[in-house]
Amino acid sequence: MSGTPRFLLDVRDVSKSVQGPEGRLDILDGVSLQVATGESFAIVGASGSGKTTLLGLLAGLDTPSAGSIRLDGHALENMDEEARADLRRQLVGFVFQSFHLLPALSAEENVMLPLELEGDRLARTRAREALASVGLEARRRHYPAQLSGGEQQRVAIARAFVHGPRVLFADEPTGNLDQRTGHHIIDLLFALNRDHHTTLVLVTHDAQLAERCVRRVELEEGRLRAHSGEADA
Amino acid sequence: MNLLRLSLRTLRREWRLPELRTLAGSLVLAVAALGVVATLSTRVERGVLASAAELIGGDIGVSSPQRLPDDLATRATHDGLKVNRSASFPSVAFAHGRSQLLDVLATDTAYPLRGTLELRDAHGHTQTGHGPAAGNVYLDHRALVALQLQVGDMLQLGGRELHIAAELVRQPDGGQLIALAPRAVMSLTDAEQAGLLGIGSRARHRLLLAGAPAAVHDWRDWAQSTTLPQGAQLITPEQTRQRMRSAFDRASAFLRLTALLSALLAGVAIALAAQQYARRKTSEVALLRALGTPRRRVFGLLIGTLLALAVPALIVGVALALGLAQAAWLFASTLFAGVPTVLPWGPALAAAGIGLAVLAGFALPPLARLAEVSPVAVFRDSVTRRVRRFDGLYLVPVLVALALIWSQSGSARLAGILAISLSGVAVAAALLAWGLLWLARRVAPGAHPALRLGLAALARRRGLSVIQATALGMGLTALLVLAIIAPSMLDGWRSELPSNTPNWFVLNLQTNQRDDFSKALARLGADQLNMLPLAVGKLVAIDGHPIDGLHFNDPRAKDWSDRQLRLSWAGTLPPANRVIAGHWFTPHPAQAEVSVDTMWRDMFALKLGDTLSFDVGEGRLDARVTSFRQVDWSSFRVNFFLLLDPAHASALPHTWLASFHLPRGHATQVATLSRAYPNLSLVDVDDLLDRIHQIVDRVSGAVRWVLAFSLLAGALVLAAALSASAAERRHEAALLRTLGARRGQLRIAAACEFALLGLIAGLTATAGAAGAGWWLGRQVFHIEHYVPPLGSLALSALIAAVVVMLLGLAGTRKVTRTSPMRLLREG
Repeated sequence: MSGTPRFLLDVRDVSKSVQGPEGRLDILDGVSLQVATGESFAIVGASGSGKTTLLGLLAGLDTPSAGSIRLDGHALENMDEEARADLRRQLVGFVFQSFHLLPALSAEENVMLPLELEGDRLARTRAREALASVGLEARRRHYPAQLSGGEQQRVAIARAFVHGPRVLFADEPTGNLDQRTGHHIIDLLFALNRDHHTTLVLVTHDAQLAERCVRRVELEEGRLRAHSGEADA
Repeated sequence: MNLLRLSLRTLRREWRLPELRTLAGSLVLAVAALGVVATLSTRVERGVLASAAELIGGDIGVSSPQRLPDDLATRATHDGLKVNRSASFPSVAFAHGRSQLLDVLATDTAYPLRGTLELRDAHGHTQTGHGPAAGNVYLDHRALVALQLQVGDMLQLGGRELHIAAELVRQPDGGQLIALAPRAVMSLTDAEQAGLLGIGSRARHRLLLAGAPAAVHDWRDWAQSTTLPQGAQLITPEQTRQRMRSAFDRASAFLRLTALLSALLAGVAIALAAQQYARRKTSEVALLRALGTPRRRVFGLLIGTLLALAVPALIVGVALALGLAQAAWLFASTLFAGVPTVLPWGPALAAAGIGLAVLAGFALPPLARLAEVSPVAVFRDSVTRRVRRFDGLYLVPVLVALALIWSQSGSARLAGILAISLSGVAVAAALLAWGLLWLARRVAPGAHPALRLGLAALARRRGLSVIQATALGMGLTALLVLAIIAPSMLDGWRSELPSNTPNWFVLNLQTNQRDDFSKALARLGADQLNMLPLAVGKLVAIDGHPIDGLHFNDPRAKDWSDRQLRLSWAGTLPPANRVIAGHWFTPHPAQAEVSVDTMWRDMFALKLGDTLSFDVGEGRLDARVTSFRQVDWSSFRVNFFLLLDPAHASALPHTWLASFHLPRGHATQVATLSRAYPNLSLVDVDDLLDRIHQIVDRVSGAVRWVLAFSLLAGALVLAAALSASAAERRHEAALLRTLGARRGQLRIAAACEFALLGLIAGLTATAGAAGAGWWLGRQVFHIEHYVPPLGSLALSALIAAVVVMLLGLAGTRKVTRTSPMRLLREG
């Protein structure tokens, strides 16, 4: 690749279908969208509309049945799983609804994971800094079971940002949290997004959360129904 | 809802869970392994017993210096047992002006009830037969040579003219394996009519019985509860000579050991699977509790589910055990000619019982704790974590293991050594695992990324890693003991009977005959000649108290104090003897000293410093007990219960006892030698040695079979345990894949993890197996100078580490392919 691509994510006419017991099932159908670098982007929709599948495709966790997805200029559909893993390691951070912290690891060790995959010798120091940035330095030795839901999600956010990803994918990041904690988490997410100039792509059915994103798309039965927010960059 | 129906419904929903399958599989394997081992062991034991029965010519018997009361035989006939009466005595036979002292067995025609009487007719054809009809006699080769007779000739025995109907080739010995003189078998009727069994005769009367095991057992109980004639003794297969007993004890100890270790391996697998199941069920149980299900009902449901799973598993296990045992038997039965061919069901069913005990002992603790999960756990995982910590209930598997060791080993010493060795291995493995994990965290920052990830993977499952290393270490120890130590001990045992073992004994050699006799033997090509002085005496007092006035708890003491004792002396401690208390003789002690065998020490409750008084010839000798000896009676050397110091004993009237080895095929020369020294008794033990070699071969062959099955079962149980623990890695792999881990990184990480686990297990198992082997060899199997094969052990441990790594990689193969989408789907 030469030069910086105009869009960090460029999705053209993407479809995804799977073979079900009653024949082919189309989950996504002809989806096209673009997300600019540093932008915050929300995908909303009802349960079963295909949000999670789309997020998985955008993050390179899966490949589309048709169409093309370019992440930072890399055509994901032409890459094998190993190449996509490399790309994820370098460019992508994740925040999940269920936090997905490893229960046998302390908060600090959980945050160290992406750095260890990179072979970073300063993993521990950087993990500590990341935990400090989410206000949990004092609890770095605690295990997930000893942390509240909000604290676990903050650890997950620290893990997502620790290796300086270019894009952060968040899947219902407040889904398992109460409203107040959820607000704090979202504030933190957006603050970090701003400070790190990270692109944020989040999937939610929380309208208020979606409103905070610069742009929003709504999925209905696998199709993009509406775009809203600021014009394309 | 009915608990049983609910349990069945739960099982129908959950039986595909990997840990339940592992649990069921482990149970099937445990029962199958235990069942195969126990079934084969029972058959082998029967084989060994049958061999012993062959040797004595019946399943049980009684011998007495007096005529035996009729009710012994009447009762036996009533119990459905076959009966054989006989009597043995020395008698002189005459033919063509020659005479020869013979060891005569006079028997009815039912002889032998077990084993075979091999006879050779005048044409040289060998066939099996029974006791001779009246007027006939069988003579062995030595007797025929000594009397210069042939089959078909007549000889005079007990004043009667008897027809030599056949040459005696081999006979069951009626409990007396060593004949002092050439042998003859005649009809009991002839002996009675000739007055050879009348008052004053030196005959030993014998009643041998054979039949169904239960009837034999009943008769034995009855005979033991009745008063036998004075001097009468029961003859049992177990009692046939020290060497046989030794062979028997070692064989059954090996077999018990094998079965026991299989059970422990299964327990380890079941414990891992149950722990896994409990972990998975925690949130479900918390939900049930939150919805108001009482704790007892939750526990009932868990037990019901477990039982619903266990019953079919037990049935499959038993069926598999019987099928495998039968198949193995078909292959191995050539080893056991003459052993009952009925497949015993009992051991496999007992194995199912032990399997259930193992399941209860190893699976119940996590499930019992699971039932106690607080309903609050539906909200907070941390609550559930707390109940899985170690507590007193986890001593249950330890106690079950100890109880199993105790019940299966049948020997406190064997049980103790195994329990201590395995516990030592467990502690060592745990400490080593902790140490290496600690080290791993220290070195990890400088290591290769993939390697560091692997080390981190191990470190982040610290608790589980330690448990796995410990379980694998114990399992491997068991396998190494079975696969390396046991066969090497068998070899050690076999090599104790070298081919030049002395096969002749000479009694009554006079001092002035020693030199000439030695030269004559050398001319025959005999070697290994060993001569020991032999005095005959009687124990008359202990510490000055006449023996007749003393009371001993051991009933054998009375018997021995009535007997003539064989006394010998030696300046140096003979081979196969070990002083275990006191000291060996000094060159010129002021007072006569005696060294006593441990059996005698126990029988007469002797202490160091006691004085034993013996009447020898016309004189009396007072000797102070200065040492106790452990004697290896199975060594086939000439050994004595009592050894005197030579400085005081050499003046006693004595003859010499010699042993030597003479290659086979020298019967004629030995007969000539026997005639040249008419006062000597030459005892041929070749035949006995042959049979012992045969029995050792049979037993070791069978043990190897059993080992192969246990080894297979052990490996499968280990694999099952590994795969159970591997399942929980999937979630972790999905997360790591999402974060960008390459498949290769996951594979290397898994390889490092399992290689390290295997290395820890291999190292501790090598040390543990070597220690246990050394200890077992010395203390239980009495194999002198046994050194465990350290090279093979180390190599095996290395192979085991590689196998553990490969098994681990195979078990986590699917895991590394986990789709990262899994996490998003899980939410």
